[in-house]
Amino acid sequence: MKSDFSPYVPRSATLVSKQELNELVTLFEFAQDSGKPLAHRPGQFIQVSVYGVGEAPFSVSSPPRTDHNNFELAVRRTGSVTNALHALEVGAKIGIRGPYGSYFPMQKFVGQDFLFVAGGLGYIPIRSVLHYMLRHRDEFGHITLLVGTRNPKERIFTDQLAEISKRNDLEVLETVDTPDHGWKGNVGVITTLFPKISINPETTNVATIGPPVMYRFVIQECSKLGIPQNRIFVSLERRMKCGLGKCGHCQINGLNCCLDGPVFCYTDIAGLGEAL
Amino acid sequence: MIAYTIYLPQIKGLLKKWALELNIYVPTMVEKGFFEFRPWNDQVEIAWDYDLCYTTLKKFILPPRENIIFFDMKKYSASPVTEAPKQLLFGVHPYDIKAINQLDQLMEMDSPDVNYQARRDNTIIFGLEPVHVAETAFWSSMNASKVDLGYDLYWTRISPGAFFVQVGSARGEEMLKVEGPVEKSNFTQKEAARRAHLKILAEAEKQTLKFDWSRTPELVNKFFNNRTFWREKAKTCLSCGSCNLVCPTCYCFDIQEEADDLLQKGRRYRQWDGCMLRGFAEIAGGHNFRDNAWERYRHRYMRKGKYIFDKLGELGCIGCGRCVKACTAGIANPRKVYNEIWEAIKNEI
Ligand SMILES: Cc1cc2nc3c(=O)[nH]c(=O)nc-3n(C[C@H](O)[C@H](O)[C@H](O)COP(=O)(O)OP(=O)(O)OC[C@H]3O[C@@H](n4cnc5c(N)ncnc54)[C@H](O)[C@@H]3O)c2cc1C
Ligand code: SF4
Ligand code: SF4
Ligand code: FES
Repeated sequence: MKSDFSPYVPRSATLVSKQELNELVTLFEFAQDSGKPLAHRPGQFIQVSVYGVGEAPFSVSSPPRTDHNNFELAVRRTGSVTNALHALEVGAKIGIRGPYGSYFPMQKFVGQDFLFVAGGLGYIPIRSVLHYMLRHRDEFGHITLLVGTRNPKERIFTDQLAEISKRNDLEVLETVDTPDHGWKGNVGVITTLFPKISINPETTNVATIGPPVMYRFVIQECSKLGIPQNRIFVSLERRMKCGLGKCGHCQINGLNCCLDGPVFCYTDIAGLGEAL
Repeated sequence: MIAYTIYLPQIKGLLKKWALELNIYVPTMVEKGFFEFRPWNDQVEIAWDYDLCYTTLKKFILPPRENIIFFDMKKYSASPVTEAPKQLLFGVHPYDIKAINQLDQLMEMDSPDVNYQARRDNTIIFGLEPVHVAETAFWSSMNASKVDLGYDLYWTRISPGAFFVQVGSARGEEMLKVEGPVEKSNFTQKEAARRAHLKILAEAEKQTLKFDWSRTPELVNKFFNNRTFWREKAKTCLSCGSCNLVCPTCYCFDIQEEADDLLQKGRRYRQWDGCMLRGFAEIAGGHNFRDNAWERYRHRYMRKGKYIFDKLGELGCIGCGRCVKACTAGIANPRKVYNEIWEAIKNEI
């Protein structure tokens, strides 16, 4: 028997361009074959299929935009699907499902200040929120961006970061855990940047995304600054298969990271033993 | 309540008629004291008095492995697959019906699961009042000894040769009448069914939770941070996942795919997975969100005792006792775990 609808059926999209960001991470630009925009919101993810290999979740790294319909993913090579994506040539096709999951409530942030704390690949989804704000710059207040990477070789979006660092309507601070010979910037884990920033805790919201070990430390720093829990937002990574709240892989206590997350307000997960 | 009385000699004729349209599965003894649902034919002896069928019935609605899409790698297109054979599960005990009712709700929630629903729509369930209780079962204290929905007919044996058959759906009633009119039950027969229910309830009361089931979420949640307790309980866990496999309310799955040799066409399928298996929550880079067996063990009891309750208002364990039997380490036992937590908390106060 055949039914005509299943949430498991991907739609096709075509690779428009690709650009290496570092040895392991590549930026991909795709266009849906339907010609329609992805209609995602900052922080959401999609399920990407390479038929014959598998399916894996990726955050949409580009902001929602109205001027064209393409969207971007930045993917780190680590296993079967990610390697297959890296092997794609321009013009090749993928399957996509979604966008799925919760997103950053941008309307709530209008008129307020914002602090981004991005560790490693966490910058990929942060980028969607940040660039949304930069595209609607006058709607938001003071913006501060903290970026931490393990070492200079693993930095991503370096050109774009250099470019936005020149702007005078936001503050960008970067650090690496372990420097190499050429590195002239800050050295130390991301929390070492906190003493260098000045923000108003009364009007600042925080978005922080990074490796699992990072969250507790960043949230501690935010609390020290006096930022209340309900203005701290995180995006959490979990193993995901269905993206539909069914397969159980992404559970955080009783929540489904694919439905209730990946973006959470810290208040909603502060009491959960499996969250951070 | 509409009910009919069906006599044993009538049943074979009915089964033969039904078998023309559906695959029928019935409980039967496969080894001494060991029962399973197997395809019916007129050689198969139905075990009307079985205590527990070891393999869960979820396999008929959420098969161990099932195709979900077919894809074409050349055209880069995909199409949905829903395979849904017409089937009758004849002789399902109420606790197992409750488990299916729960899956029905969970699969409907948020994003309806079309594969599950197609199978479920084509599945007819005839319940059967148990007459024996498995030694590991404790369903009477899990609010699972009676169901008000989820069956098309509900059969209670009221004498060696007769069944009181309660109607649960129009399609169930129609099936009962395929061979012609059947006898409407009278008051005495209804009373006999009620007594049969009370009798089995009394037997099931021998092994229970020591407190009212509705307190489980609160109790187990209080113990979430008691690592010593969970570590001790899970000390000998083999992370084999057998407790997931046999559980009628476990429904987690993995998604995999395979392509043909020419790399032109392929299929994506899902298959049962288990939260007790080591890699279940592992992500790229090797980080595992439940790295230790005790964390996985705790998750399972939290899910049965609280998380499902938070979604549905009832416990995620129906007390069948299958996991108790399945666990070679002898540690899977929701009744024991929850009772121990209750004892510990009671003594604290
Ligand atoms: C919401 C979300 C957003 C993400 N965004 C990005 C992103 O923007 N860029 C990026 O590079 N990566 C992102 N990831 C991680 C990415 O999904 C994994 O790297 C990818 O699934 C690995 O697939 P693979 O087939 O290459 O690896 P596999 O060959 O399957 O396995 C390699 C490793 O990946 C782990 N893994 C397998 N399947 C999954 C899965 N479904 N989810 C998580 N880990 C898995 C395995 O445990 C193993 O350790 C995101 C993950 C989530 C949950
Ligand atoms: S947890 Fe064990 S006793 Fe409870 S429903 Fe599952 S298999 Fe049955
Ligand atoms: S509790 Fe028992 S059945 Fe479950 S994974 Fe551990 S050893 Fe296996
Ligand atoms: S990814 Fe399957 S439940 Fe979240």
